[in-house]
Amino acid sequence: MKKSVLIAAFICVSTFLFAQKKMTTSATINFDATTSSDGLAKAENKTVVAAIDPRSGSIAFEAIMKSFSFSNPMMQDYFNGDNWLETDKFQTSTFKGKITNLAAVNFSKDGTYSSEVAGELTIHGIAKPVTTTGAVIITGKSITVTASFTIKLEDYGIKSKAIDVGKVAKEPKITVEADFK
Amino acid sequence: MSRLKYIIFISVFISAVATVGIWYLASRKFIDTANEQSIYSIRALDLIKEFKKSDSIANIKFAGKIISVNGTVTSVEAADSTVNIKLADTASGSYAIFNFQQKNIREAKTINQGDNVTVKGYCNGGVYSEILEAEFISFTRCVLNK
Repeated sequence: MKKSVLIAAFICVSTFLFAQKKMTTSATINFDATTSSDGLAKAENKTVVAAIDPRSGSIAFEAIMKSFSFSNPMMQDYFNGDNWLETDKFQTSTFKGKITNLAAVNFSKDGTYSSEVAGELTIHGIAKPVTTTGAVIITGKSITVTASFTIKLEDYGIKSKAIDVGKVAKEPKITVEADFK
Repeated sequence: MSRLKYIIFISVFISAVATVGIWYLASRKFIDTANEQSIYSIRALDLIKEFKKSDSIANIKFAGKIISVNGTVTSVEAADSTVNIKLADTASGSYAIFNFQQKNIREAKTINQGDNVTVKGYCNGGVYSEILEAEFISFTRCVLNK
Protein backbone atom coordinates (compact mmCIF):
# COMPACT_ATOMS: atom_id res chain seq x y z
CA MET A 1 0.00 0.00 0.00
CA LYS A 2 2.78 2.37 1.07
CA LYS A 3 4.74 1.46 -2.05
CA SER A 4 1.86 2.24 -4.42
CA VAL A 5 1.26 5.59 -2.69
CA LEU A 6 4.93 6.44 -3.10
CA ILE A 7 4.88 5.47 -6.79
CA ALA A 8 1.73 7.55 -7.37
CA ALA A 9 3.33 10.52 -5.58
CA PHE A 10 6.50 10.18 -7.68
CA ILE A 11 4.47 10.10 -10.91
CA CYS A 12 2.46 13.17 -9.80
CA VAL A 13 5.61 15.13 -8.87
CA SER A 14 7.51 14.23 -12.05
CA THR A 15 4.47 15.01 -14.24
CA PHE A 16 4.10 18.38 -12.49
CA LEU A 17 7.81 19.19 -12.86
CA PHE A 18 7.82 18.16 -16.50
CA ALA A 19 4.71 20.14 -17.28
CA GLN A 20 6.23 23.37 -15.97
CA LYS A 21 7.10 26.21 -18.30
CA LYS A 22 10.55 25.79 -19.82
CA MET A 23 12.82 28.53 -21.14
CA THR A 24 16.03 28.92 -23.10
CA THR A 25 18.20 31.90 -23.90
CA SER A 26 20.07 30.17 -26.73
CA ALA A 27 17.38 29.37 -29.28
CA THR A 28 18.31 30.00 -32.92
CA ILE A 29 16.52 31.69 -35.79
CA ASN A 30 17.84 31.40 -39.35
CA PHE A 31 16.81 34.00 -41.88
CA ASP A 32 17.31 33.05 -45.53
CA ALA A 33 16.45 35.62 -48.19
CA THR A 34 18.98 34.40 -50.74
CA THR A 35 18.04 34.25 -54.40
CA SER A 36 19.57 32.55 -57.43
CA SER A 37 21.37 35.81 -58.27
CA ASP A 38 22.61 36.66 -54.74
CA GLY A 39 23.62 34.48 -51.82
CA LEU A 40 24.43 37.14 -49.24
CA ALA A 41 21.03 37.71 -47.60
CA LYS A 42 21.36 34.95 -45.04
CA ALA A 43 21.76 35.35 -41.28
CA GLU A 44 21.55 33.55 -38.00
CA ASN A 45 20.64 34.66 -34.49
CA LYS A 46 21.83 32.29 -31.77
CA THR A 47 20.84 34.24 -28.66
CA VAL A 48 17.07 34.10 -28.98
CA VAL A 49 14.95 33.88 -25.82
CA ALA A 50 12.21 31.26 -26.04
CA ALA A 51 9.64 29.67 -23.74
CA ILE A 52 7.21 26.77 -23.94
CA ASP A 53 4.44 25.79 -21.56
CA PRO A 54 3.61 22.11 -22.11
CA ARG A 55 0.36 22.44 -20.15
CA SER A 56 -1.18 25.20 -22.28
CA GLY A 57 0.91 24.68 -25.44
CA SER A 58 1.91 28.32 -25.48
CA ILE A 59 5.17 29.19 -27.25
CA ALA A 60 7.01 32.50 -27.31
CA PHE A 61 10.19 33.84 -28.92
CA GLU A 62 12.05 37.14 -28.54
CA ALA A 63 15.02 38.11 -30.69
CA ILE A 64 17.24 41.18 -30.72
CA MET A 65 17.32 42.12 -34.41
CA LYS A 66 20.90 43.36 -34.30
CA SER A 67 21.98 39.87 -33.18
CA PHE A 68 21.30 38.47 -36.66
CA SER A 69 24.79 37.77 -37.99
CA PHE A 70 25.50 37.88 -41.71
CA SER A 71 28.80 36.79 -43.25
CA ASN A 72 29.02 40.12 -45.09
CA PRO A 73 29.25 43.46 -43.21
CA MET A 74 27.56 45.40 -46.02
CA MET A 75 24.53 43.08 -45.96
CA GLN A 76 24.35 43.32 -42.17
CA ASP A 77 24.36 47.14 -42.32
CA TYR A 78 21.70 47.00 -45.02
CA PHE A 79 19.53 44.61 -42.93
CA ASN A 80 19.72 46.93 -39.89
CA GLY A 81 19.51 50.17 -41.81
CA ASP A 82 16.78 52.75 -42.25
CA ASN A 83 15.76 51.38 -45.65
CA TRP A 84 15.01 47.95 -44.35
CA LEU A 85 14.43 46.77 -40.76
CA GLU A 86 15.28 50.02 -38.91
CA THR A 87 16.63 48.04 -35.97
CA ASP A 88 17.57 51.17 -34.01
CA LYS A 89 13.85 51.89 -33.85
CA PHE A 90 12.43 48.33 -33.86
CA GLN A 91 14.92 46.48 -31.68
CA THR A 92 13.20 43.13 -31.35
CA SER A 93 11.04 40.65 -33.22
CA THR A 94 8.66 38.50 -31.23
CA PHE A 95 6.40 35.53 -31.69
CA LYS A 96 3.58 34.59 -29.35
CA GLY A 97 1.51 31.56 -30.18
CA LYS A 98 0.18 28.13 -29.29
CA ILE A 99 0.47 24.55 -30.38
CA THR A 100 -3.02 24.04 -31.76
CA ASN A 101 -2.90 20.22 -31.82
CA LEU A 102 -1.60 19.88 -28.26
CA ALA A 103 -3.39 16.55 -27.75
CA ALA A 104 -1.14 15.01 -30.42
CA VAL A 105 2.02 15.78 -28.41
CA ASN A 106 2.84 13.54 -25.45
CA PHE A 107 5.38 15.54 -23.44
CA SER A 108 6.05 12.63 -21.09
CA LYS A 109 6.97 10.10 -23.81
CA ASP A 110 10.09 10.21 -25.99
CA GLY A 111 9.33 10.76 -29.66
CA THR A 112 9.00 13.21 -32.53
CA TYR A 113 5.58 14.76 -32.79
CA SER A 114 4.26 16.79 -35.69
CA SER A 115 2.85 20.04 -34.37
CA GLU A 116 0.71 22.85 -35.69
CA VAL A 117 1.46 26.30 -34.36
CA ALA A 118 -0.57 29.48 -34.73
CA GLY A 119 0.31 32.86 -33.36
CA GLU A 120 1.35 36.42 -33.97
CA LEU A 121 4.72 37.40 -35.38
CA THR A 122 5.92 40.97 -34.87
CA ILE A 123 8.71 42.28 -37.09
CA HIS A 124 9.54 45.90 -37.88
CA GLY A 125 6.81 46.95 -35.44
CA ILE A 126 4.08 45.18 -37.45
CA ALA A 127 2.20 42.19 -36.04
CA LYS A 128 0.77 39.57 -38.41
CA PRO A 129 -0.85 36.19 -37.80
CA VAL A 130 1.30 33.19 -38.68
CA THR A 131 0.45 29.49 -38.87
CA THR A 132 3.01 26.79 -39.48
CA THR A 133 3.78 23.16 -38.90
CA GLY A 134 6.81 22.01 -37.00
CA ALA A 135 8.15 19.25 -34.83
CA VAL A 136 8.28 18.75 -31.09
CA ILE A 137 11.00 16.27 -30.15
CA ILE A 138 10.92 14.78 -26.66
CA THR A 139 14.13 13.18 -25.40
CA GLY A 140 14.12 12.45 -21.70
CA LYS A 141 13.53 15.76 -19.96
CA SER A 142 14.48 17.86 -22.96
CA ILE A 143 12.04 19.36 -25.45
CA THR A 144 13.25 20.52 -28.87
CA VAL A 145 10.95 22.61 -31.03
CA THR A 146 11.66 23.24 -34.72
CA ALA A 147 9.62 25.04 -37.36
CA SER A 148 10.13 26.58 -40.78
CA PHE A 149 7.92 29.03 -42.57
CA THR A 150 8.08 31.90 -45.02
CA ILE A 151 7.01 35.48 -44.52
CA LYS A 152 6.20 38.18 -47.05
CA LEU A 153 8.53 41.13 -46.41
CA GLU A 154 5.89 43.45 -47.87
CA ASP A 155 3.47 42.42 -45.08
CA TYR A 156 5.93 43.84 -42.57
CA GLY A 157 6.41 47.12 -44.40
CA ILE A 158 9.84 46.11 -45.75
CA LYS A 159 10.39 47.38 -49.26
CA SER A 160 13.63 48.08 -51.08
CA LYS A 161 15.28 48.16 -54.48
CA ALA A 162 17.30 45.02 -53.65
CA ILE A 163 14.02 43.14 -53.25
CA ASP A 164 12.61 44.59 -56.47
CA VAL A 165 15.66 43.58 -58.53
CA GLY A 166 15.76 40.05 -57.10
CA LYS A 167 18.86 40.32 -54.90
CA VAL A 168 16.78 39.66 -51.78
CA ALA A 169 13.90 37.17 -51.73
CA LYS A 170 10.43 38.66 -51.36
CA GLU A 171 9.47 35.74 -49.15
CA PRO A 172 12.44 34.70 -46.99
CA LYS A 173 12.48 31.40 -45.17
CA ILE A 174 12.56 31.54 -41.38
CA THR A 175 13.75 28.49 -39.45
CA VAL A 176 13.40 28.35 -35.70
CA GLU A 177 14.95 25.87 -33.30
CA ALA A 178 14.74 25.90 -29.52
CA ASP A 179 16.19 23.30 -27.20
CA PHE A 180 14.53 23.38 -23.78
CA LYS A 181 16.52 21.38 -21.22
CA MET B 1 40.59 59.21 -80.75
CA SER B 2 37.15 59.42 -82.29
CA ARG B 3 34.23 60.43 -80.11
CA LEU B 4 32.72 56.89 -80.34
CA LYS B 5 35.96 55.23 -79.21
CA TYR B 6 36.17 57.71 -76.33
CA ILE B 7 32.62 56.90 -75.19
CA ILE B 8 33.29 53.13 -75.41
CA PHE B 9 36.53 53.52 -73.43
CA ILE B 10 34.81 55.55 -70.68
CA SER B 11 31.88 53.07 -70.52
CA VAL B 12 34.20 50.06 -70.22
CA PHE B 13 36.29 51.85 -67.58
CA ILE B 14 33.24 52.79 -65.48
CA SER B 15 31.84 49.23 -65.78
CA ALA B 16 35.18 47.74 -64.70
CA VAL B 17 35.44 50.07 -61.67
CA ALA B 18 31.82 49.34 -60.69
CA THR B 19 32.35 45.56 -61.02
CA VAL B 20 35.49 45.66 -58.86
CA GLY B 21 33.69 47.86 -56.31
CA ILE B 22 30.68 45.54 -56.07
CA TRP B 23 32.94 42.46 -55.89
CA TYR B 24 34.96 44.12 -53.09
CA LEU B 25 31.87 45.00 -51.04
CA ALA B 26 30.23 41.61 -51.59
CA SER B 27 33.35 39.64 -50.63
CA ARG B 28 34.20 41.64 -47.49
CA LYS B 29 34.28 39.77 -44.19
CA PHE B 30 34.16 41.00 -40.62
CA ILE B 31 37.51 41.78 -39.01
CA ASP B 32 38.63 39.16 -36.50
CA THR B 33 37.48 40.51 -33.11
CA ALA B 34 40.82 39.44 -31.61
CA ASN B 35 42.42 42.18 -33.72
CA GLU B 36 39.88 44.85 -32.76
CA GLN B 37 40.35 47.40 -30.00
CA SER B 38 37.76 47.49 -27.20
CA ILE B 39 35.94 50.80 -26.92
CA TYR B 40 34.95 50.01 -23.32
CA SER B 41 36.14 47.52 -20.71
CA ILE B 42 33.55 46.90 -18.01
CA ARG B 43 32.52 44.42 -15.33
CA ALA B 44 29.48 42.35 -16.31
CA LEU B 45 27.47 43.41 -13.26
CA ASP B 46 28.18 47.09 -13.99
CA LEU B 47 27.14 46.63 -17.62
CA ILE B 48 23.89 44.95 -16.57
CA LYS B 49 23.30 47.74 -14.03
CA GLU B 50 23.63 50.38 -16.76
CA PHE B 51 21.13 48.57 -19.00
CA LYS B 52 18.70 48.06 -16.11
CA LYS B 53 18.90 51.75 -15.25
CA SER B 54 18.05 52.82 -18.80
CA ASP B 55 18.44 50.50 -21.77
CA SER B 56 17.88 53.34 -24.25
CA ILE B 57 20.82 55.31 -22.83
CA ALA B 58 22.96 52.16 -22.49
CA ASN B 59 22.18 51.14 -26.08
CA ILE B 60 23.43 54.50 -27.35
CA LYS B 61 26.61 54.03 -25.31
CA PHE B 62 27.40 50.36 -26.00
CA ALA B 63 25.47 48.99 -29.03
CA GLY B 64 27.45 48.65 -32.24
CA LYS B 65 30.78 48.75 -30.38
CA ILE B 66 33.46 46.25 -29.41
CA ILE B 67 33.34 45.83 -25.62
CA SER B 68 35.41 43.77 -23.18
CA VAL B 69 33.35 42.37 -20.33
CA ASN B 70 34.73 40.71 -17.21
CA GLY B 71 32.84 38.47 -14.83
CA THR B 72 32.04 35.02 -13.52
CA VAL B 73 30.44 32.59 -15.95
CA THR B 74 27.00 31.70 -14.64
CA SER B 75 26.17 29.24 -17.43
CA VAL B 76 27.51 27.73 -20.63
CA GLU B 77 24.94 26.89 -23.29
CA ALA B 78 26.58 24.70 -25.90
CA ALA B 79 25.18 23.01 -28.99
CA ASP B 80 26.94 21.06 -31.75
CA SER B 81 28.27 24.06 -33.64
CA THR B 82 27.92 26.92 -31.20
CA VAL B 83 28.62 28.05 -27.65
CA ASN B 84 26.99 30.83 -25.69
CA ILE B 85 28.27 31.84 -22.30
CA LYS B 86 26.31 33.94 -19.84
CA LEU B 87 27.44 36.40 -17.21
CA ALA B 88 24.35 37.04 -15.14
CA ASP B 89 23.16 39.06 -12.21
CA THR B 90 21.73 36.10 -10.31
CA ALA B 91 19.63 38.35 -8.07
CA SER B 92 17.57 39.86 -10.91
CA GLY B 93 18.01 37.25 -13.63
CA SER B 94 19.34 39.90 -16.03
CA TYR B 95 22.34 38.79 -18.07
CA ALA B 96 24.84 39.40 -20.83
CA ILE B 97 25.15 36.58 -23.37
CA PHE B 98 28.15 36.00 -25.62
CA ASN B 99 28.11 34.06 -28.87
CA PHE B 100 31.62 33.22 -30.06
CA GLN B 101 32.95 33.74 -33.56
CA GLN B 102 33.33 30.50 -35.51
CA LYS B 103 37.11 30.26 -35.26
CA ASN B 104 37.00 30.68 -31.45
CA ILE B 105 34.35 28.08 -30.67
CA ARG B 106 36.94 25.51 -29.62
CA GLU B 107 38.37 27.88 -26.96
CA ALA B 108 34.83 28.78 -25.86
CA LYS B 109 34.11 25.11 -25.22
CA THR B 110 36.89 25.09 -22.61
CA ILE B 111 35.02 27.65 -20.48
CA ASN B 112 33.17 26.30 -17.46
CA GLN B 113 30.55 27.65 -15.14
CA GLY B 114 32.26 29.52 -12.31
CA ASP B 115 35.28 30.58 -14.39
CA ASN B 116 36.32 34.20 -14.23
CA VAL B 117 36.67 35.41 -17.81
CA THR B 118 37.05 38.53 -19.91
CA VAL B 119 35.20 38.29 -23.19
CA LYS B 120 35.61 40.74 -26.05
CA GLY B 121 32.78 41.01 -28.54
CA TYR B 122 30.46 43.12 -30.63
CA CYS B 123 27.59 44.47 -28.52
CA ASN B 124 24.21 44.15 -30.28
CA GLY B 125 22.45 46.04 -27.50
CA GLY B 126 20.11 45.06 -24.74
CA VAL B 127 16.37 44.93 -24.19
CA TYR B 128 13.90 44.01 -21.47
CA SER B 129 12.59 40.51 -22.11
CA GLU B 130 8.88 40.08 -21.46
CA ILE B 131 9.41 36.32 -21.39
CA LEU B 132 12.14 36.41 -18.75
CA GLU B 133 11.05 39.63 -17.07
CA ALA B 134 14.71 40.62 -17.05
CA GLU B 135 17.17 42.63 -19.09
CA PHE B 136 19.33 40.78 -21.61
CA ILE B 137 22.32 42.09 -23.51
CA SER B 138 23.54 40.23 -26.56
CA PHE B 139 27.07 39.98 -27.95
CA THR B 140 28.26 38.27 -31.14
CA ARG B 141 31.64 37.59 -32.79
CA CYS B 142 33.17 37.08 -29.33
CA VAL B 143 36.66 35.95 -28.34
CA LEU B 144 38.27 35.23 -25.00
CA ASN B 145 40.53 38.08 -23.94
CA LYS B 146 43.76 36.54 -22.76
